[in-house]
Amino acid sequence: MRSELNEACLIDRYLLRQLSNEEARAFESGLLLNEALAEKVEAQRMAHLLIRLYGRRKERRRLDEIYRQLLMETSFAHQLKTIFV
Amino acid sequence: MTTRQEDPIVSLYRDSFPDFARMVRRMGGTLEQAKDSFHDALVIYLEKQRTGKLQVHSSPKAYLLGTAKICWLHSLNKGPMLPLAAGFEAAEPEDVDMDEREKSLLDSLLRSGKKCMELLKAFYYDHCSMEDIAGRFGFNGRRSAAVQKYKCLEKVREEIKTAQIYAQ
Repeated sequence: MRSELNEACLIDRYLLRQLSNEEARAFESGLLLNEALAEKVEAQRMAHLLIRLYGRRKERRRLDEIYRQLLMETSFAHQLKTIFV
Repeated sequence: MTTRQEDPIVSLYRDSFPDFARMVRRMGGTLEQAKDSFHDALVIYLEKQRTGKLQVHSSPKAYLLGTAKICWLHSLNKGPMLPLAAGFEAAEPEDVDMDEREKSLLDSLLRSGKKCMELLKAFYYDHCSMEDIAGRFGFNGRRSAAVQKYKCLEKVREEIKTAQIYAQ
């Protein structure tokens, strides 16, 4: 488990550009020789993308809620009404 | 008696959105379009704030309005019309929209393991520490949280691989 966990952390550091140039080059050379590792990297890259999509989706819902709350404030709602008459 | 402090994003929203809506209206846009671009800009603002990459040169409002304008122009597919003020270069919206296949993969991951996605979001998107994650999700310390995070990541990676095989 420890080595798998360390491997996932290393992939994270590679994808998040936290490796030095030398470390990144060594990692990329390893990818050419290890197809299973290359597959994990691609899946982890997609995982990062989907987590960000999920984070943004939730953030937008929170902002929609703030907008709804603000529309209940007379002054805010009035300003928007005046702009979009 | 102390009053509960308002979320700073609510104040920033209240203070900035009418100005942005006015600008969008002048350019022929609708309230809904103004809100969408403003939310895109706020998402960028919040992400940069959480990662410590937010560089506000004048005021949060000015930064937000500048970013929202870029998002609005981007949404019109015209690209930036004017040279951008210093500090806005890094605020270009990036892959705000993803394709349907990715959205459906995300929905499937949420159906099969919402808690895992919440945990991974706390780590990768909200940038919470392992201690915070352990407290929030009821794990016995940071080590246990790190192991659980790995297990969730592995589960998600496997589902992604399976989905990609079926998509080929």
